[in-house]
Amino acid sequence: MNASSVVIAAQRVARWRSAPLPWLLLAALAALPLLSPSPNFVRLLFTTFLWVTTSMAWNLVGGFAGQVSFGFAVFYGMGAYTTALLMNTGVDPVPAFAASALSAALVSLVVGVPAFRLRGPYFAIATIGISEAVRVVMTNLSFTGGASGYRIVEHRPFHQLEHYYSALLLAALAFVISALIAHAKFGLGLQAIRQDEDAAADLGVNPYPYKLAVHALAAALTGVAGGVFARYAAFIHPAGVFGFHTSVHILLMPVIGGIGTVWGPVLGGFVFGIVEEEIVASFPQVHLLIYGSLLILIILFEPGGILGGLGKLFRRFRGRR
Amino acid sequence: MEDADPILEVDKVTRYFGGLAAVKDVSFKVRQGQIFGFMGPNGAGKTTLFSMIAGALKPSSGKIRSRGRDITGAPAFKLIKLGIARTHQIVRPFREMTVLENVQVAVHFGKQAVTGRAAARERAIEALGYAGIDQLANYPAAILSVGHQKRLEIARALATDPDLLLSDEICGGLTHAETSEMLALLRRIRDSGTTVMYVEHDVKAITSVCDRIMVLNYGRKLAEGTPDEIQNDPAVIEAYLGTRARGRS
Repeated sequence: MNASSVVIAAQRVARWRSAPLPWLLLAALAALPLLSPSPNFVRLLFTTFLWVTTSMAWNLVGGFAGQVSFGFAVFYGMGAYTTALLMNTGVDPVPAFAASALSAALVSLVVGVPAFRLRGPYFAIATIGISEAVRVVMTNLSFTGGASGYRIVEHRPFHQLEHYYSALLLAALAFVISALIAHAKFGLGLQAIRQDEDAAADLGVNPYPYKLAVHALAAALTGVAGGVFARYAAFIHPAGVFGFHTSVHILLMPVIGGIGTVWGPVLGGFVFGIVEEEIVASFPQVHLLIYGSLLILIILFEPGGILGGLGKLFRRFRGRR
Repeated sequence: MEDADPILEVDKVTRYFGGLAAVKDVSFKVRQGQIFGFMGPNGAGKTTLFSMIAGALKPSSGKIRSRGRDITGAPAFKLIKLGIARTHQIVRPFREMTVLENVQVAVHFGKQAVTGRAAARERAIEALGYAGIDQLANYPAAILSVGHQKRLEIARALATDPDLLLSDEICGGLTHAETSEMLALLRRIRDSGTTVMYVEHDVKAITSVCDRIMVLNYGRKLAEGTPDEIQNDPAVIEAYLGTRARGRS
């Protein structure tokens, strides 16, 4: 078999592998309520979809463009508070979510405009500083209730499945965006920036607006996730949505699943969403320590995450035959 | 034929590093359709001058123009839109991409800014074919040999659709056979209408391929002319070989 026929075969396999899987998964998750699962299981999946969304959003910036952020809680919190404030003035949920996307995207520019002018670790450091500053401001802001939090009063009956489907739809949207970007001009530009910013510029890529754009897009998705969460929870507080642990969670999922890929963050989001509550419940004092250790182990031994590890196993298995 | 607005015009360009002038008052013009080379001994300022033209380094003073347009200090991504592309002395492929994807980036963001995926792939394959590495299209760029990576540099730069190709020591590290193939490729690029500016350490390579050569020494322009003129210029010979020992001539 010559080289080009191997390549064609590989492309055919890739197409076969990638085409129906997301649709099957979406259909299965959409049909799941037909089995009348327990409300607690529906709630668990609801939160998982939101985690999957933020995981894919972070991956656009941290994975595709290689700009590691420790500040995604800012966007999640902005989205949550925007939806909460608007809904309490009588705005419908969907326009409130759209406003959350917009406010989070605007905040992303406040972070990105100065920080993306710098190279290296400065962006990551700046995101930590800004997210802590925002959390402190929100803790002391009186009209949102400060540290004691903010309650959302929705004058209509509560339907858990309505929340379930809005979160599923959002995760599906994030997946479509991520999958479309991956091989399009935009995604190739981002990957070029990650791999060698100067060489990318030498081929015509202007890194600065590209980083700003993808950061704003990721912020918008994360903001909507925050909004959907706020509406469901009906109560939010700065230490929760703006907390540093929220940023760590959002960063951890794509790393677990496989950074810079389309499926890795989905996988990481599902794994994390399902075990997270269990870990927090079992180890309330040290759960962040566990995440930190996990992060170090993955970076040391399998930087490709679950997906990277599976790929290696698959190649080894194929090589043995 | 006198060309009013040459494709590249370097006008009294100077670059200081601290108090040291790495390039001092260098002027020259590159005409359309030439292979224009500059050479010089180690430390002559070749790379500094090249970097300033390629937008990687700002001159301390002087102007650089292309077709009458001031491009002094313009960043590389703007030069690409004006039809000026470069290759790197030390190859810089996007290592986690395939060879084809590397070139697709260049097609997407080059002068034509092609958006469609199918069209970009087609152009990219064309550029790979031109550089003679289309059979490697779907390999990861990281596993290519140095010779093939140099060709990838050329393919990527050509895929941006340049009118002027800036090529920095493209034959460095190549075998004798690879060098002559690379020089043939440069000639083909010139014959297809792209002007080439070529910087090289290797005197033999540069004199065999260039239509016009400038020689740098200690950051200053020493001579400019055809390869024959340059090779017979006493100042150039002195710069490369030194003067005869006293008392023996």
